[in-house]
Formats: sequence, structure tokens, C-alpha cells
Amino acid sequence: MTDTTAPPAEAAARPVTASAARRAGTLAARVAAVLAKRLVMLLVLLAVVFAAIELLPGDAASATSERGEGTAGLAARRHLLGLDRPVWERFRDWITALPTGDLGTSARGQHVTDLLAAPLPNTLLLGGTAFVLTVLGALALGIWAAARPRGAVDRIVDLTSTAAFALPEFVVSIGLLLVLSLWTGWLPAATVTGADGAPATWTMLVMPVLALAVPQTGWNTRIVRAALADQAAAPHVEAARLDGLSTSRVLLRHALPGAWPAIATGVATSTGMLLGGAVVVETLFNYPGIGTVLAGAVADRDTPVIAGVVACAAAVITVVLLLADLVRARTLGARS
Amino acid sequence: MDWNRRQVLWAGGGMGAAALLAACGGGKDAASSGSGGTPQKGGTLRVGALGRASAITRDPHGNQGNESDYLVIALVYDTLTAPGLKQNTVGRLASAWKPSADLKTWRFTIAKGATFHDGSPVTAEDVVWSLRRLRNTPAGAARLPGITADHITADGKDTVVLVSDFANAELPMITRLSTFILKKDTPDKDIAKAPGTGPFKLDWYRGGNARLLRNEHWHGGPVPLDAIEVTMFESPQAMANAMLSGQIDLASNAGAVAARTADARKDIQVIRRPNDMAMPLVMRTSGGPFADARVREAMKLIVDREAMVKQVLSGYGTVANDILGTGDPGYAKNIPQRTRDLAKAKQLLTDAGFDFGKTYQLVTTEDIAGLAESATLFAAQAREAGVKVEVVKQESGTFYDKTWLKGDFYTNYWGTNDSVVFFASKTMTTGSGQNEAGWSDKDFDAAYHKAIATGAPEARTAALRDLQQIEHDRSGYLLWGMADGIDLAAPKVHRLPQLPGYGRVQLENVWLSR
Repeated sequence: MTDTTAPPAEAAARPVTASAARRAGTLAARVAAVLAKRLVMLLVLLAVVFAAIELLPGDAASATSERGEGTAGLAARRHLLGLDRPVWERFRDWITALPTGDLGTSARGQHVTDLLAAPLPNTLLLGGTAFVLTVLGALALGIWAAARPRGAVDRIVDLTSTAAFALPEFVVSIGLLLVLSLWTGWLPAATVTGADGAPATWTMLVMPVLALAVPQTGWNTRIVRAALADQAAAPHVEAARLDGLSTSRVLLRHALPGAWPAIATGVATSTGMLLGGAVVVETLFNYPGIGTVLAGAVADRDTPVIAGVVACAAAVITVVLLLADLVRARTLGARS
Repeated sequence: MDWNRRQVLWAGGGMGAAALLAACGGGKDAASSGSGGTPQKGGTLRVGALGRASAITRDPHGNQGNESDYLVIALVYDTLTAPGLKQNTVGRLASAWKPSADLKTWRFTIAKGATFHDGSPVTAEDVVWSLRRLRNTPAGAARLPGITADHITADGKDTVVLVSDFANAELPMITRLSTFILKKDTPDKDIAKAPGTGPFKLDWYRGGNARLLRNEHWHGGPVPLDAIEVTMFESPQAMANAMLSGQIDLASNAGAVAARTADARKDIQVIRRPNDMAMPLVMRTSGGPFADARVREAMKLIVDREAMVKQVLSGYGTVANDILGTGDPGYAKNIPQRTRDLAKAKQLLTDAGFDFGKTYQLVTTEDIAGLAESATLFAAQAREAGVKVEVVKQESGTFYDKTWLKGDFYTNYWGTNDSVVFFASKTMTTGSGQNEAGWSDKDFDAAYHKAIATGAPEARTAALRDLQQIEHDRSGYLLWGMADGIDLAAPKVHRLPQLPGYGRVQLENVWLSR
């Protein structure tokens, strides 16, 4: 914003496509750089997962053994699972197979890709719906509250959003279960699946989605509200208000665009929280997602399964963070 | 109190369920629950069973960690024999069996008209192949003890011959739980879809859940149900909630917490299957503070059995008498019940020179509900006798690695309890593979060998009685009680399984009233 003089005529006459292409080129380079950085982070994360499970007491062979197996049987299974080899060797094998889509074999002899084939789409559906609901809810509440700062709505939203964020998912879940299912009988208490592995009816999604979305909506409402408050103090918003534009126009057309980067960052971090919360919520509602797979796999010390879940979750989070980066780049880029 | 996250969740759910009771008291009157009435044909039974998505196993000869998987497998495939009510072994795919005079060679006859779901008849070759496959799994030696793979042979089209390394009057019993029969040469990659011979055919299976359809041609007779839908539940509480909200008709092995909730609901049957789970305290006999039989007897006199059943099992259980295998038709009910006697216990401990100044560690796990609680309650009861016991909780993997079969004093649990001889052979005879207490007693070994080498009923009963008396007197097991297996069911469900343990999967006779 340093050079505000009008551009020379020749520059204005330059074909737009060239500059667009250049912009696209730099954007692609930026995306590639960010992706490369995230890929390295993912590698480190997976290495940490392998190392961490190594540090836990017991191993997959003993955790999944039958009592009658005996020492020789255990040793044989340990060998079969490759647990007698150093952890870095197993990590190398697993990670080099990863690009081919091979996530290894579970301690009970199932392909990890098979184990995750049905649960992953279910978790994406659950998390995705909760995510959309969170974004819409947070925007609506945050904007509504910002419309009249320190008004009644603002104060109520401030209080309830703080309270909602402070509630752990399992408290929300049990409250929902009691009220919406066990007392009123309106919604099914547990998820039952059909032959395709997906929940039998959409009503089974309502409570798990709400249990995830309520705390995150609380968190993001506060972010939206704060970002809008920051923007309200910006000169161009001030100017718009002094021009006599309607409150909604000032908020939506002038304040909100500048608030996008902060909001995008906020909801992006919620992705991780949503996937983390899924472990608890899925167990409570018997929702067949990767959260339940993860919980069981940790108990079994089943490294390939845990790493598979982590890789899938990390991929999802990476995509969302990348999108958030793009939103930021676009907003800030437009102003630089 | 150390609570893990899962327990907190369950407790939370429990509170939810308790609150529900208040809201739902005074429901409809319970319809006829037991097996009354003429069986009606048709209907789909929706069953909930426990299991974890990460532990899914489809191989009938694999290590089934999930009750849901075992349920599906046991309905699709037949074992040679099965647990029974009056006799603890009844026929399934084998209609009859006969031992040689030395009780080493056993000939099993395949049931007439037994066919696989694809229509092909079951041959002795199929059975031999399946049993050998089972024997060659890592746990095979424990599943078919004393029978090596080359001692499993076919004799003609419908007879299978098993030769044991030692005389074994109980051999048919060991073929009850995991001898699932598949077609000869089924490749490993097709195992999940391989046709069985059981009362139900697999319609679909996905992520632990399955739908099964009636096998119209089952050799065991007509099957009333059209279909069974199995839903896998990660937590007993979610399963109980599904039961309470009417999403399932049967919650298999739901546990005591769910039973307490459902007891107040008149529209839910609570089925108690006695002798389901043993949770003994194990005292090392081969060394350490419990090596003296008087110290062990003192511990058995210290425990308040009634209080244990009431508090640890929420009353869903029965008092036991330090003899494992309480569900055995030959269980010695006439051995007097041991009761609490602190004075005698103190006397025995003093006589044995027991060190009252020391604190003794009792190692436990949270592998099943109530196990850690049993250790804690015992420690409190021991304090009343001046014995200091400190409870140490170990994580499951660590426990099996470091404590099991090695520790001086620990808790454990056993799920199949209908045979005295089974426990004797597996856990108490000298050098047995899972001799948890490191016990070696000449008289006991002699009684055991007499019992399994005797075919004549009267002599066998006498030998079994001797065996149990010795076990009661001086083994390393303090067995204070037996937990019930608990199923919850809708009133319309009839002829539900009554047997403990794996008997809970016998759903072939269940019918629905409409």
C-alpha cells in the first residue's frame, strides 16, 4: 500500500492473462512449497507415532494374543508381525509402501486399508457436516452479535459461546442422548449401519454432529466476533459507517472481508479438534468411524493401524489448512 | 480413585441411563419371557454384541477378540460339538463320538445330511482339513491339546479319527468352541466368504456388522428366524442405550451396569446366565509368602464372599468355593462352603509364621468390569485380619508380560467354566501350560489322571470329587464368586441362550412372537 499513484497507461494496457498466469504461477509455487513443508511435518509426525507406540508397555503380539499361545507362539507371532525388527526398519518399510496406497497389515491380519475403507468416509461425513454447521453457526452468531456491540444479543452470544466451548464433547453427547433420545425418543440412541457400512438413517447423524459442532461453534463464534471487532476499528470500515451505510452492509461488505484470514485460521484449527473429538463421540454413539478404530488400535499397540488413521487424519487437516492458507493469501494478497 | 477415560464415559452413560429410569418407570407389563409358547417362524432378530473395529477378525480359526465376530462365525459355521445344558458337551456337526478302550483314539461321526451353504455335502476330508488348519494356528496347541495335526485323519466319508497323546475322557469337550468346519482347501483370501454349515448363511458383513439369513437345509433342524442382524458395539453403555431406545432386540453380554438399569424397566427381559465368569485371586504356591498351604487357606478364610458378590458384581453372581469349573454337571456341591472366619485365619497365619509387618502387593488389571474392584475390596477385607495388601493396577500388556504365570499374588479371569477337568488340565496339574499358581501336588495329579482315564461314570465321579476336594483345600486359587453373564432382550424374544460363556451365541432356536 506504499505506492498509491495511478499505474502508467502501458501497464494498464498489458494483457490481463499474462499477469493472471504469473499470479497463478506464483500461487502454484506457493502451494507446492506449503505442501512440501506439510509433507515433511507428516513424515516427522508418523515417525513420532511409531516411536511413541514403541515406548508404550507391551506390544501388538502380546496385546492381541490368546492366553493359550505360550512363549513360543508369542515369539512366532512377534516374528510374523515383524516386531522382532528395529522400529526404524519397520517405519521405513511402512513409509515406503505408503505412496502405493498400502497401509500395512493389522496385528490381527486385516489389511489396514480394508479396516479404514468403511470408517473413513463415515468420519469424513460426520466431521464434514459438523464443520459446515460450525462455520455457518459461528458466522451467523458472530455477525449477529457484532451488529450491536455490547447489546443484549452480543452479551448473550458471548456468554453462551464461552459456555459451549468449555463443555467437553462427552458432556454434550450425554446431554443430547438423554434429552433427544432416552427421554423423548425422537432420535435413535446408537448408530446402526446397513450393508454399505454407512449409517442406516440420517437421523443417526444428528446427535453426533451436534455433539461435535456445539463446542466448536462456541470457539469459532468468539473468533468471528473478535475479528469483526478488530475490523470495526479499521479506517475503511469506520469510513463506510460514517458514509451512513446500513449496519448489515458495513458488516458484510466492509468488515467481513478483512476478517476472513482470522476466521479461516480459526475454523482450520477446529478441523483437528473435530477429528479429535470424534474418538469420544463415535464411541458414545457407536458411530462407525476412524475414531473408534483408533481407540481400539492404541489398546492393541497396533502401529500400522494407528499410523494409517494418523495419516488419513493428517491428510484431511493438511487440505483444510491449505485452504485456509489460500483464503489468507487471497485476502491479504488482494490488499498488498 | 484412578479412573480412565473410558470408565468416565461409561459412568456418564450410566448416569444417563439411571436418569432415564426415572423417566421411563412403569412401562408395559412384561410379556412371557422364557421359552413358553409354540415357536413362530419368521422375523428378524437385531442383536447387539461387543467388539472393536480395530480387532475385527473374519477367520474362523483366527484369534477372535470381538464377541460380535465370534457370534457371526458361530452362527455361520458349525463346530464338531457344542456346549450343552444337561451334559456339558452335545453334538453339533458331529452326531456321535466313541473312544477306544484306552481313551486315546476318538472317532467322530458327521451328522447325516450335513451340507455346506453352497449345497455340497460335508465330508470327513473337509473336517480333517479344517481341524488341521486350526491345529496349525499359533494357538493351535492350546485349542486341541494333545492332538498333533498328523493324528487327525479321515476314515471313510463320514468318520474323523482323533488320536490324543494321552488318555483323555474329556476330549470331545475341547472340540466345542473353535473347531469350525470349512470346505477343504479354502484359500486364505476367501476365508471371510467361505460357505459354512451352520444355521445361518452370511448375507453381508461390513465393519463388524452383519446380516445373516436362515439356512433352510440346516442338519440340526428347522431354524425359526428369517434373519439375524448383528450390530457391533464399542462400549456396553452404547449397546444398553440402543436396547433402551428399541434399536436392538437383544443386547448380548451387556453386563451388570446395564442390567441394573434395565431391571427397573418392565419392557426389557434381563437374562442371567450363571457361572459365566470366574475372577479368582491367584497365590503362588511354588515360592514366596503364599508357598505355605496354611497361608493360602487363611486368605480363603479372610475373604467375605457375600460382600464381594454384592459389591463387585452388583449382586449379579453367586458365591463360589475355591473350585474352578463351577458350571460342570460333576461340580462337587457337597463339599462344604467355605465362609469367613477371621479368628481361624489369624491362627493359621501365626502358625505359619506369616509376617504381618510386611505389605503384600496384589496385582490386577482393568481388563474386565469388576476385576480391579475385587482386588480393592479384598485388600480392605484383609486389613480386618491384620494383613496389609496393596493393590497394584497394571496395564493389560504389562500384566501378561510381567505378572501372569510369574507373580506371587494377582487377579485373573476365566470365561469358560463348565468343566472341572478343563481347569485341572490347563492350570493346575504339574507342569501344565498355564499353571498360574505354579502348583505341583502329587495327590492332585494322581486324582486328575484317574479322572480323565476313567470312562465308568461312578469311578469317574469319585475321582472328580477327590480332585475337587484337594483343589478346595490347598490349591493356589481363591475363587470367591462367579459372575453371571447378562443379556438384555425385548419381551417378544423367546428361547434365548441360557448357557454361560460362549453358549451365549446359540441363537438358532430363538423365535419372535408377534
